[in-house]
Amino acid sequence: MKKLLLLLTVCATVASAAPRIITIGVVAKSQGNPVFQAARVGAQDAAKELSAKHGLDIRIDWRTPNEEDAQKQAEAIEQLVLAGAEGLAVSCSDANKLTDAINRAVDNGVPVATFDSDAPASKRFVTYGVDDHSCGVQTMAELAKVMNGKGVVAILAGNPNAPNLQKRVQGARDEAKKYPGITIRDVYYHKETPQDSAAKVEQVMQANPDITGWAMIGGWPLFTENALKWQPGTVQCVSVDALPAQLAYIRSGHVPVLLAQQCYEWGHRSVELLIEKIVEKKNPPAVKEVSALIPVTKDTVDEFAKNWVKWLPR
Amino acid sequence: MSSPLRSLLKFQESGLLLVILALGLLLTVFSGTVRTPQFERTADGGRQRVFTVNAEGERVPAFVEKNKFLNAQNLAQLAKDTSFTAIMAVGMAVVIIAGGIDLSVGSIYALASVLGAMVLRHYGPEGVNAPVLGVVLGVGTCLGTSLLCGLFNGGLIVALRVHPFIITLGAMAILRGIAFVVTKGQSVGGFPAGLRDFVRLEIGDGLSFVPLAAMVLVTVAGWIFLSRLAAGRRVYAIGGNELAARFSGIRVERVKLGIYLLSGLTAGIAALLSLGYYGAATSGDGSGYELNVIAAAVVGGASLSGGRGSALGVVLGALIIQMISSGIVILGIDQNYSQIIIGTVVIAAVVLDNFNTWLAKRRLTQTR
Repeated sequence: MKKLLLLLTVCATVASAAPRIITIGVVAKSQGNPVFQAARVGAQDAAKELSAKHGLDIRIDWRTPNEEDAQKQAEAIEQLVLAGAEGLAVSCSDANKLTDAINRAVDNGVPVATFDSDAPASKRFVTYGVDDHSCGVQTMAELAKVMNGKGVVAILAGNPNAPNLQKRVQGARDEAKKYPGITIRDVYYHKETPQDSAAKVEQVMQANPDITGWAMIGGWPLFTENALKWQPGTVQCVSVDALPAQLAYIRSGHVPVLLAQQCYEWGHRSVELLIEKIVEKKNPPAVKEVSALIPVTKDTVDEFAKNWVKWLPR
Repeated sequence: MSSPLRSLLKFQESGLLLVILALGLLLTVFSGTVRTPQFERTADGGRQRVFTVNAEGERVPAFVEKNKFLNAQNLAQLAKDTSFTAIMAVGMAVVIIAGGIDLSVGSIYALASVLGAMVLRHYGPEGVNAPVLGVVLGVGTCLGTSLLCGLFNGGLIVALRVHPFIITLGAMAILRGIAFVVTKGQSVGGFPAGLRDFVRLEIGDGLSFVPLAAMVLVTVAGWIFLSRLAAGRRVYAIGGNELAARFSGIRVERVKLGIYLLSGLTAGIAALLSLGYYGAATSGDGSGYELNVIAAAVVGGASLSGGRGSALGVVLGALIIQMISSGIVILGIDQNYSQIIIGTVVIAAVVLDNFNTWLAKRRLTQTR
């Protein structure tokens, strides 16, 4: 009897000592885009760090469509709420379509943070990411600098339905107006896969050999090895993002500047903000938390590359 | 063997029902429980959190513990998520039974959505204030567009005598291209509240039933058409042997035109529900849905060589695929494995259904 009581006491102690489980659902735009895989690692690392800090068991439930699909994202948000997630981090493929799903989650007591691409009309308590208009401005400004303020520019713009990319395009257009010597040939949209975007660059260059500069507001084609089929320096290119595959273009001289988004931080910071909200009942000082773009050049590329040892999926 | 069980096994879709029951049982047993906030209805019909007082005398939110799979909210969510694919799959089933294929349903869904959305927005919060007229015109535009797209497909297939794969493959690109051009790639939202309020109508504790009701209505209509009307029998006849059907006096071209109209219409109905539920549309909507719809139809027993299939079967097929997809979330399985699991279960479901059909044929032979 005594042994049984002792066993029950031990079991009760173990059960009461088990840390509280908090599940954070993360819904990014697409599985295939490496920037979101870095965000996933960031979220998982934050979960580990904050679990140790608060004595919790924080788990990341990653539910991202294989390809961009706002309806699938809305369904994932609803499913995560029903499955008991206590907080959600979402990168919105279509803000209009996701606003109601986010609002329903919040109405059900689940706080939502957005990262990378916001749903400004929703009840999310915070959004983390670059200022998209400024991102477009900075991309074009860097390009204009390396082109000495003159030439014919093409803008590579990814998914035409993504509101954040639209803002970047607008920023690039606005900045280009400051340089009378720069002409924008067109904005080119494409499916956001490395192969599709690389093919788009090739097609555009064949049809418009007079293009002397590319403003890539996302780095999609540079995730392949042979996207820029010209001699380094003959056509200038500035691109957002600085993933490992893209860094090779800096080293080869094809791309003088990459503007790194802090995609690892998208996941890491979103989870931090959610845990502060859920556990510490703290709201961020402002709804918009802007992360800066980090310029990566030939001088800084090796130092920057070391980050990817930590950021890549393990 | 008891009589109800024997009746169930003779039922054409019994294999699919068994798969659904087995999946449901597995998910119920292995999903565990979830703690969700408790809500109550307010006097004005809204929802509010329920609070209790804890041992320290503090007012704290109340929670209820439920099975993760077997609870009303999750089942309603499952039905809602299934409905969009299932409704399109009924139209696709009719096309496949007749020996055709429609690869453009995802694009019809996108074009009907964005054109309907543009009309709705025009009369919506930021446009002309005529909400009733706006909803009527928006619904008309959405369904009318889908019928026109179906007519375009059917007309070209009949007139040019080209394989439907080619025509609908071309239509898939053309229709999505039109959707992109008219929207300039922008998301279209801001509708009159009427449509959204209707599609999101809830019963009980947050259960959306309109998409489910629409799915049931479309399934019943499909079942009546295929199994109770002469027109439906003609569809099977053409799918079974087009030449024999022609010699037996069936006006094959007219039937073919009709089935693509139906396929377009079901894509339009799904688009309309999506507009109401999600409140926005873009030219990228429905990308890849044609494959989901075809998968649902095939899992549901529709034969790609024509002549076999049923409306109920394809809806059950869509439900199986959605159950697997939701089950992956409920069980917390790493998403990296989701496509492998879905593909495997789709093949397993088809094998089980084929085995069931073989058993039924064998029983029939033995009876004779």
